[in-house]
Amino acid sequence: MATIIKSYEPTFWDKLYFPALLKGLMVTIKHFFRQKVTIQYPDERHIPPDGYRGLHRLNKYPDERIKCVACEMCAAACPSNCISIIPGPSPWDDGKERYPVRFDINLLRCIYCGFCEMACPEGAIELTEIYDFSNYSRDDLVIDKDGLLGVYELTKKQNYYTKKSHSPASLPFKTERT
Amino acid sequence: MPFIKIDEKEFEVAKGITVLQAALANGIEIPHYCFHPVLEVVGSCRMCLVQVEGMPKLQASCNTSIGEVALDKKLDGKYDMVVNTQTDAVKQERKNILEFLLLNHPLDCPVCDQAGECYLQDYTFKYGNAHSRFKEEKRVRPSESLGSNIVINQDRCILCSRCVRFTREISGTNELFVQNRGYHSKVSILKDKPLENLMAGNVADICPVGALLNTDYIHKNRFWNLDTIPSVCQDCSAGCNVDVFSQRDEIFRLTPRENHDVNGYFMCDIGRYGFHRFEEIERVNQPLVRNGKSFDVIDWAEAIQKTADLIEQSNGKTAGIVSPFHTNESNFLLGLMINGMLGMLPAIQAEEITYPSGFRISADRSPNQRGMNNICGGLAEDLSSEIKTQAIRGLYILDDGVDRELDDAWKEILAKMDFLIVQSYAMTDLAKLAHIVLPGLAPYEREGTITNDQDRIQWLRPSLSIKAESKPDWEILMLVNNALNKKAENFTGLDDVIIKMGEQFPNYSGITLFKIATQGIALNGKKM
Repeated sequence: MATIIKSYEPTFWDKLYFPALLKGLMVTIKHFFRQKVTIQYPDERHIPPDGYRGLHRLNKYPDERIKCVACEMCAAACPSNCISIIPGPSPWDDGKERYPVRFDINLLRCIYCGFCEMACPEGAIELTEIYDFSNYSRDDLVIDKDGLLGVYELTKKQNYYTKKSHSPASLPFKTERT
Repeated sequence: MPFIKIDEKEFEVAKGITVLQAALANGIEIPHYCFHPVLEVVGSCRMCLVQVEGMPKLQASCNTSIGEVALDKKLDGKYDMVVNTQTDAVKQERKNILEFLLLNHPLDCPVCDQAGECYLQDYTFKYGNAHSRFKEEKRVRPSESLGSNIVINQDRCILCSRCVRFTREISGTNELFVQNRGYHSKVSILKDKPLENLMAGNVADICPVGALLNTDYIHKNRFWNLDTIPSVCQDCSAGCNVDVFSQRDEIFRLTPRENHDVNGYFMCDIGRYGFHRFEEIERVNQPLVRNGKSFDVIDWAEAIQKTADLIEQSNGKTAGIVSPFHTNESNFLLGLMINGMLGMLPAIQAEEITYPSGFRISADRSPNQRGMNNICGGLAEDLSSEIKTQAIRGLYILDDGVDRELDDAWKEILAKMDFLIVQSYAMTDLAKLAHIVLPGLAPYEREGTITNDQDRIQWLRPSLSIKAESKPDWEILMLVNNALNKKAENFTGLDDVIIKMGEQFPNYSGITLFKIATQGIALNGKKM
């Protein structure tokens, strides 16, 4: 059944135009007095909530030995195949026979799903809260064992982003343009 | 023929075989550890227990043999034996056995090199309990070295004694034995008799868990990362069937592949670790031409043309030297191209070793001696004197590669040649003397057929990619042949060469790579 829609007939106040304009401006003016949502990046940094999944790190024991035993469970669980490990017999005599000779993560392939943390039997790999690690070349975004251990040193004691206005420490891998 | 029933499946079996063999042959899975087809049955692991109707207790299927019973005693009037592998009692028994095996087994699968191909892992997953009830501390025992290539991780050992029986029955060397009794049992060696024999590597393969490991492969990679290619060992004329495991263009290990007509289930350590000698060699990556004392790099078209010109100018005074390390196809094409005198360098020989089980390491340490002799009919008996009598001025040599050591007599002969064309993958002594070096493929990159010393033709499959500018050996020979003779046939692939080879040598007719498949074809019997 056809319905007849009557077109809107402007009233006298509508025709004045000004009341509607003021009403719209009121929305803008109200936001002047609210808390700001945007931040002045990079002078200020957003502090991510707990459980945020960003840049990876490789954990160490208190005696500086790397926790990773190069079992490649993370690489097997990884849906994007971004982890490549070369295992070897460990140089330490502490019952753990394996350690990673090389441990590379391709940050461009990684989808930050966190499956690697879940698969790890030693609690060696973890995702940190670091989100701004953009770089100038693709090669520099494949980070190695030293880089991942460096991230652990940066984040083991405290959150990488401490205060909003604080500018964080530089990352332990190459970030300059060549 | 006894007529039996296993899990609703009925079949006739040969008299005297065991329940486990009958089940495995008919696709019924019964988990087992200590049973191995070629080793004596001990029935020690108790994993293969099944229920046989009419017997009060569960029976170990690996040592319950099947016989015929009198007509009036047949079950249901027709069966000689009725076996159930899926009853509740059997399932519970498997759980119990696995619980015992796992009591002291460290659950270190993430760092164990056997993970992924471990029977304890598979069966626990399939038949075992999901949780352990064992709350006490697990026993920890140190790993021990049994020989230069084998270590034993005592914690992981389930004492199936496969390795012990292997050294007693297959290698006949008796190094391993089970020491102590009961809880303190362990596989061990005598101090002055370590596990040092040329078949020692096999004990790591037959170990169903990760207790025995090859030091050569330990902590190198994970099983699921590796690509497996069925191929043939290239270290002697016996031609053992192997699986080549590689990742990212690097070979990690070789394991024997079952072939009852050649090697059975095993291989020797010469072949197992032999691939390492190709790892760090000075490869030839581009065609090279001599310039004084050094070599210049040239492109392929130029190199082929130069080679053809040299052979043409010599007016039939060029001889070819075939190689027992190359495939039948390469040797055949060299014969086609030279169409004159063919010869070979002195054969590489060593001691022939035969083990009590019949496993054999051939005296001839090149993979394709028989094939080369079949394909190249008139090989010169004494090449060095033939070269003098026929006034040979040039040589086209298929290089044996890193295995060939040139003696001074041959160096002298080669130095006298007007030209020397060497097709090689490495800068060997021979290649260093050459005027033109054509880069071919290394072992494990080559494809083709080789014939073992029992006249069995087998398919050599490549597991590594072709490096730099090198070309397959048969292709180089075809290109030179085409440059020499405009009417020569243009082969598009290996199959074409094999067909052409079959036309000239009736023994090799009707052979295709597809027919050879993984098990090979016997040339003398011509079983297809």
